[in-house]
Amino acid sequence: MSQRLSGPERRESILSAAQGLFANKGLHGVSVDEIARAVHVSPAILYRHFDSKQSLYDAVLEKFSCQRQSYVDTIVNHGTRFEDALAGMTQVFIKNVAENPDILKIELHSLLEGNPATLAFFQNRWKSFTDYIEFGLNEYLPYDIPNREKTILSAGLMFQGMVREALIQKCLQPQDRLVDLSLYELSNELVTLFLRSIGINKTQLSRKATISS
Amino acid sequence: MDFDSELDASGLNCPLPILRAKKAISALDAGQTLKIIATDPGSVKDFEAFCKQTGNELVSSGEEEGKFVFAIKKAA
Repeated sequence: MSQRLSGPERRESILSAAQGLFANKGLHGVSVDEIARAVHVSPAILYRHFDSKQSLYDAVLEKFSCQRQSYVDTIVNHGTRFEDALAGMTQVFIKNVAENPDILKIELHSLLEGNPATLAFFQNRWKSFTDYIEFGLNEYLPYDIPNREKTILSAGLMFQGMVREALIQKCLQPQDRLVDLSLYELSNELVTLFLRSIGINKTQLSRKATISS
Repeated sequence: MDFDSELDASGLNCPLPILRAKKAISALDAGQTLKIIATDPGSVKDFEAFCKQTGNELVSSGEEEGKFVFAIKKAA
């Protein structure tokens, strides 16, 4: 029997149940009836709060889109140095996922499901990093290095792959061999390795690589 | 409206417009105004939050020819 909840409480309980189901089964693996059963309400009551399964799914994603504010905080409170801002943004991103790994599961499902709107949502989350890296390297990598443009494009992808795999390893499939390394330590190590691997001396970078106006 | 400096952040995603604006404002004197042009719809909220946190004044925020245009006056 359904407990009596206020409208906003009911909406929140539906969102919460839907989030867990979407994370475990993907958008297409879950029906509206199943979500309604999980919160002990009829589908009719669910439809009072959400027009469709898609709008419910969009509302779940919307809950995860609030990290922009944290990016602004990072920029305001950290220096404008390339490495500081990159490290700060990475911390914001992994904190957001670590606090709610469902977003990572939903992202992995969405890669297989191929829904354009959902893919765009997740691509945009990563685009903050890839744009930032491409922009920063474009300004600061020497012009005479071989394959400069390819290096810059590949660097963004490399960073995305590194961070996503770290999140999978630490949040979804905890590994014994990584047990002594916290996600935050791992993230800092990866940022350092990333800078080194694209041929930038970190000390040199921190002295001169700021994003210019 | 007169501006003391202008920053075109078209095509850039959060947080790049904020980062570049912060750098541009640091080069201004108190009371001077920076014009910023951006294309990212989220930049409207971003610049509101940025000004609230930094104490700089968001003099105007609007849309012109499909782009978002902001005027920020540097705080004393």
